[in-house]
Amino acid sequence: MQRTGLFLERVGFLQRLNPLTKLTGALLLIGAAFLLPTPLAGAALLVLALMPLAVASAVLRSFVDVLLKTLLPVILSLLLVQGLFFPGADPATIMLGPFAFRRAGLEFALTTASRLLIVAGAPLLIFQTTHPIILVQALTERGMPRSIGYILLVALQLIPAMSERAAGVAEAQRARGLETEGGLLQRARGVLPLVSPLIVGALVDAEERAMAIESRAFTAPGRKTWLHDVPDPPVERSARLVMWLALGALIVWRAAVAVV
Amino acid sequence: MATSTTSQRGGLNSTALALIPIAIAINVVLGQLVQNVLKLPIYLDSIGTVLVGILLGPLAGAITGLIANVIWGFTLAPSALPFAAVAAVIGVIAGYAGQYGAPRRWWLMALFGILTGIVAAAISAPIAAYVFGGVTGAGTDVLVATFQNLGASVLGASFAQGAVSDPLDKTITYLIVWAIVIALPRRLIARFGNLRQQ
Repeated sequence: MQRTGLFLERVGFLQRLNPLTKLTGALLLIGAAFLLPTPLAGAALLVLALMPLAVASAVLRSFVDVLLKTLLPVILSLLLVQGLFFPGADPATIMLGPFAFRRAGLEFALTTASRLLIVAGAPLLIFQTTHPIILVQALTERGMPRSIGYILLVALQLIPAMSERAAGVAEAQRARGLETEGGLLQRARGVLPLVSPLIVGALVDAEERAMAIESRAFTAPGRKTWLHDVPDPPVERSARLVMWLALGALIVWRAAVAVV
Repeated sequence: MATSTTSQRGGLNSTALALIPIAIAINVVLGQLVQNVLKLPIYLDSIGTVLVGILLGPLAGAITGLIANVIWGFTLAPSALPFAAVAAVIGVIAGYAGQYGAPRRWWLMALFGILTGIVAAAISAPIAAYVFGGVTGAGTDVLVATFQNLGASVLGASFAQGAVSDPLDKTITYLIVWAIVIALPRRLIARFGNLRQQ
């Protein structure tokens, strides 16, 4: 496989874990970010859990890099929109230069931003430390339909190839005089000439691919064997159980607090 | 541990298996093409989902939308993951549009596009409001700010923003899919099976 999305070829702690363990951990962290009543619980979990894990897995720099690139625009926008236009009744404001920021709005923005760090950060760390093939295999061994795994992996491989073809179509149409610059209407007129050759070509491909799948007996019934082995030691099974119990306890505790 | 067995697991045959990954790649690649080459203020990132829904039915459409968003999470933006449910619903509606035979008339497709846009806005609003605090870092945040300034709540402003952007985007998506489907050879359409012929 040439390109495998966010995955980085490194050796470390998370790379050795079973993907199921990592997924359970991510679920627990996301649950905690929403359920813990502490302000900025998400930011604390990022510093105390995700970043040490990233260090132990030798991906800290690119982890922080991708997380910032993804979330910085969102967080800035969140602070501005909710800081200035939050629809609460609380009149308290904080003056920053000429702008009156609403305190309730800033608090809301910070809480949301801190949760986002975990909602985006935990999956990101999994994707950076898990080869897609291993992830799909672990999920399939646990009962995910094989067809879903096939779709995931093929789509991941197809995207770069299809990107290239799209660039080719765009160049070919420009050579025939298609305008891809200029006014809005002019650019909108470019949609169909770019999109339809790409899709019609892809549909013809799909027919050939379907025959290839049939001829390799992908849909034949019976047990299939795996090329690789995804280890799942007893320690990790117990760890997963503990994490599920912790998440359950967190939910029950929050529900009890809400009732009382 | 379950064993993987028959060809019909998940209701997908080899045609669906071949088409769905291609449709997912179309979603991602066209989404980028529209934003980077043509620089239009719409997303057009669900053409593949709608196409699969119409040609192969609600289940295949849902799977396409769901996995496309998981792949966005895999490759570019982990924050696309929470919206996977919305993408799945878009695929389901497209499946029913195909069973109804919507591609016989362009205006039926436009109607389904508007309907899809409204449903998509209604489902994305709670996700946008509770997970993202109403903003996504895109140009549409200006709309959220405007609606909040007019007195809407965070949830209300998120819905209003979606209700402005989504029906337009989905109508254009459906019309593009319409133009493609009517140009397809009958042999291919028969192979895909979901679409009702007149």
